[in-house]
Amino acid sequence: MMLAVFTTMSLALLAGYYGPRRCAVLLMLACLVLSIGLFLFEIYSPEYGFRMPWLQVQLDALPHIRSRGDHS
Amino acid sequence: MNPTTGARLPATLNHLFLFAMMLTMAAVLTTAMVFQYYGGEIPCPLCLLQRVAMFGVCYGVILHFRLGYSARNDGVSMLFALFLLIVSARQTLLDIYPRPGHSYIGNAVLGLHMPVWSVVIAVAILLAFAIKLAVLGGEDLRDLQPPPALGRLARLLCLYVVAICLINLVSVILQCGAGACHTSEYRLLRGL
Repeated sequence: MMLAVFTTMSLALLAGYYGPRRCAVLLMLACLVLSIGLFLFEIYSPEYGFRMPWLQVQLDALPHIRSRGDHS
Repeated sequence: MNPTTGARLPATLNHLFLFAMMLTMAAVLTTAMVFQYYGGEIPCPLCLLQRVAMFGVCYGVILHFRLGYSARNDGVSMLFALFLLIVSARQTLLDIYPRPGHSYIGNAVLGLHMPVWSVVIAVAILLAFAIKLAVLGGEDLRDLQPPPALGRLARLLCLYVVAICLINLVSVILQCGAGACHTSEYRLLRGL
């Protein structure tokens, strides 16, 4: 997949510099679609999906804050 | 008075801006390749996608220097800058909390690791394009060629960007083959 992404990007740059504009635009669109697909594939976890549970903060894990003078 | 006289300064500034943008991208990509080939840091899949996004930013600039100014070219560059921001922010969040199997890879530069630098670079690109469009606009920039010296330098820089993209393509072939990429080794060089 990464090979396809870099191949389309290289061809798009070559077409952008030497070839017809329409060809360059089509290759660039293909590269963008492939890149987005690969990005989603890379960050997807069978266990978590797209979530990032290591970033979640649980309020009940915070230390209890006592008001001043509360000695009970 | 020639009607294009008033547009010459904004057009020249636009050429200079885009040349500086591509020069910066080329410098960043070259630095990443030095870290890879000289420092032995094999890039991860998200790192490679960030390189693709930087090449995409350059693509819009290459079209500008070949075919002339179009707001569409700026739009393509900004689209890839946004993609760079999304990928790098996700990778930063992925490794921001060290845990088994997840931590920032590679050496830090000025205390920041590569994905964090990519976030900074993406925000800087978007900010620069926003300021350029706000200050220079886009209506008066058409049909004015860059100064000859700048045009020659820009063409050389375009060729350099195409060349380092092709080098990266060969590197990806060696690292990943036709399958998934791993940061442990170059797959096709295994056993040599």
